[in-house]
Amino acid sequence: MNKGAVGRGEEKEKEKENGKEKEPRLSVNLAENVDTIKRAFSYPVNRALVVRELFAASLQREVTVLFLEGATDTESIESQIIQPLVTKTLTLLRHHNAVTVTMEEILTSSSVRTTSLFQDLIHGLVNGGTILLIQGEAQGLTMDTPGFQSRSITEPQVEHVLKGPKEAFIESAAANRSLIRKQVRDHQLMSEVVTVGERSMNEVSLMYIKNLADPDLVTEVKQRISEIQADTVPNLSMLEQHIEERSYSLIPTALLTERPDRASSFLMEGHVILIMENSPTAMVVPITFWSLFHTPEDQYLRWAYGNFIRIVRIFAVFVALLTPSLYIAVSTFHEEMLPTDLLLAIGATRERVPFPALIEVLLMEAAFELVREAAVRIPTIIGPTIGIVGALILGQAAVEANIVSPILVIIVAMTGISSFTIPEISFNFAVRILRFIILFTASFMGFFGIALTLTCVISYMVSFKSFGVPFLTPLSPHDRSSKDLIVRPPVWKQWLRPFYTNPQDKQRKKKPEGPS
Amino acid sequence: MKLLKMLPFLPLLLLLSGCWDRLELEEQAFVVVVGLDSGPNHTVAVTFQIANPQVGSSDKGSAQNEPPSDIVTFNAADILSAKELANSVITRKISFAHLRTVIVSQEFAKSGLFHRILGSSVRDPEMRREINLIVSKEKASDFVKNNKPKLETRPHKYYAFMQERWRDTGYVPYSTLNRYMQRLGDDTLFLAIYATASKKETKYSKNEDNYLAGQIPHKGGDPVEIMGSAVFRAGKMIGTLTGEETRYALFLRRKSLTHSFIATYPDPLNEEYQITCRFMKNGKAKIKMNAKSDPAQVSVRIPFRVQVLSTASFVDYASDAEKQRQLKDGLQRKLADRIKQLVAKTQRTYKGEPFLWHLIARNQFWTLDEYESYNWSEQYTRAQVQVQVDLTIVNFGKQVEPPIMHISGDEQP
Repeated sequence: MNKGAVGRGEEKEKEKENGKEKEPRLSVNLAENVDTIKRAFSYPVNRALVVRELFAASLQREVTVLFLEGATDTESIESQIIQPLVTKTLTLLRHHNAVTVTMEEILTSSSVRTTSLFQDLIHGLVNGGTILLIQGEAQGLTMDTPGFQSRSITEPQVEHVLKGPKEAFIESAAANRSLIRKQVRDHQLMSEVVTVGERSMNEVSLMYIKNLADPDLVTEVKQRISEIQADTVPNLSMLEQHIEERSYSLIPTALLTERPDRASSFLMEGHVILIMENSPTAMVVPITFWSLFHTPEDQYLRWAYGNFIRIVRIFAVFVALLTPSLYIAVSTFHEEMLPTDLLLAIGATRERVPFPALIEVLLMEAAFELVREAAVRIPTIIGPTIGIVGALILGQAAVEANIVSPILVIIVAMTGISSFTIPEISFNFAVRILRFIILFTASFMGFFGIALTLTCVISYMVSFKSFGVPFLTPLSPHDRSSKDLIVRPPVWKQWLRPFYTNPQDKQRKKKPEGPS
Repeated sequence: MKLLKMLPFLPLLLLLSGCWDRLELEEQAFVVVVGLDSGPNHTVAVTFQIANPQVGSSDKGSAQNEPPSDIVTFNAADILSAKELANSVITRKISFAHLRTVIVSQEFAKSGLFHRILGSSVRDPEMRREINLIVSKEKASDFVKNNKPKLETRPHKYYAFMQERWRDTGYVPYSTLNRYMQRLGDDTLFLAIYATASKKETKYSKNEDNYLAGQIPHKGGDPVEIMGSAVFRAGKMIGTLTGEETRYALFLRRKSLTHSFIATYPDPLNEEYQITCRFMKNGKAKIKMNAKSDPAQVSVRIPFRVQVLSTASFVDYASDAEKQRQLKDGLQRKLADRIKQLVAKTQRTYKGEPFLWHLIARNQFWTLDEYESYNWSEQYTRAQVQVQVDLTIVNFGKQVEPPIMHISGDEQP
């Protein structure tokens, strides 16, 4: 599969090179150039393009300023571009080239580039830039004046913590990058841009710490993004599906986090962070299994507290995964495992239930999944209804009507609650789907079935990789790390970076001395 | 992708897998007690006590007019065929998964058939080795029927709780199917719990533990009395031990399950009254054996710590070291005497020991053949057994001195 991808990539490169030679260039005629751009944007039918014709006093020439409405910040255009052009009068010109004069002496905009290709101008326009065309010059100027609307930075919606920063990523890539830069004040923090998509050219920012991250990893990630052949890749969640290792796998190989602090802690371990416009998250690659149920809070809380909540969450994973299947296995195959009293109590309540235990569990699980899905889709205003309906139907009425036995309500409730403790959405889904698979095998083969499925799942997890990193490392295959896996050591003892990311600097600090 | 296309067919695979032994809970009848009696023509009468799950559980599943258990008896060649036969009467599939208690009638236990029936039933994986073995004085079916504990609704609960009490008091041994199987050999005796639900003779003893089941002077409550032990030799019952003897027998083992018991003995300074003490085993019993000499020499030292709980004679032991010494000597002598009597009884009457001394005897030989030709059980009947009891009086209770009271001469009994 990889070979094919590489082959396709090469073809694409060639096409690009050929295309470049034929790409239209600007002419010296201003009106002609403006017309070409107007045509590209179907002006005047499309009223988004704003064309402002001016006479630049300093240059003594006609100039045209173009920008897209809604994509730009008009105030900065006015103060940084139009005003200087019109009002500045230069007595002494240091250059004869009008473009250089404009760039260096007239415009006060912070970023100005010159180009002679129409494609670059159009690309600049759609990305919120302003372009300036000058009469008699075969070059245009593009300036960054982005003014896309976005919400302000708020608290995280999914990854809450009690103790720790309360900032979350928003949909603006620039703001997200700045949030990360705020956490990692390192001059080696790189922010590369790779474009993706063939029709709508979206930009992916690749962030990593240059003297830390493995250069091969960075190349690998860039390679995978550049090989994507898609019309458009609107955001990170879609990008994840394009570049992940196994599309049909239940278990995710990339992590999306909405917390800048979490993203930057991954940066400091030598991971690569991807940020895209329109995504209120940052994508972390590569990841290991352990990061799926870690939260930043584990590190923020003191050693004992952090480990306590971590153990609770690991326990919850097992509860969410196994409780219904254990109930089925025990009640239909291994009755001798139950204490006699419990057995009789379950037996007594089951006596009037018309379904076998498996159907009973499936009914309740299906009901719970429905409630959960409804709770996500339901408009917030009528949200509380779902709680009442869920509680009444699941808890009370189903038992009263002898549809299910009371113990099952406990089991399904426990399972449901436990699955909410898994912070990562993808992993949450993986656990929920696996639960049903294990449920079926348990109902056919009892504990043997559960053991069989778990063996399959674990051997699968051992065998696959995320961007070249084995998924269960550093546990298996064993690798040196700061041992922050199942439980974590005190912060001062975490002096090693995980070796699996192959960081260029393997130590965070010197090995602590003294009694451990 | 190919795998994904096969996905709809994967559930079909499951149909081929082994779900034949699956059974819903409510489709099974859980036998909690099995009673064994001898039937005609070498058959065995098997009594099943089947728990009714709907009684005594939550309100949601309760059925008011049903009894807590159903008791049925079948005559069959063995337990497992009786289990099959039972399904001609019982609607649900009989399951031994929660069987914890087997009651054997004394008559059946003394017959040669007992071992053949019980020993062969172990092949059933549901017959677990933790099953408690109880020998009843009367027919097991009568015992099961008459056992109606007032506090427990469910029959299994009675046995589960009683088992814990047995461990505390040591009136009865800890007898499971597993221990029975372990002690089938000729060189050791197996002690099983002895019980009865029919009261015949009531005996009055000053020592509260010198009873056999059926002799305890109790009124009211459950008719069942569980006290003492049935002695088995090579899978056949040969006699009984009283509660007191059972206690000593348990303490004569190197390691015993029971760690303390409360017993009364005549006050050495005033034999009219009893003195109540808690005896706590202080470490393992030290058993020394010389199998080379003839007869074999066995010396046993049992260390006890003693709490004096009540002195009905009002002798002030707490503040008098001399009296304490007398108390200690008196108790040591009494205890050692009674233990010696028990040892003599096992040597003479039962011709074997239930104290697991054969394990110590076995250590004296290099090969198993040597040990077997030594014939321990025969040697034991002639062995010289020294018993010594080491008492340490730890305290005299919360109030150390007796209450001050002036008793006139004629009031004394």
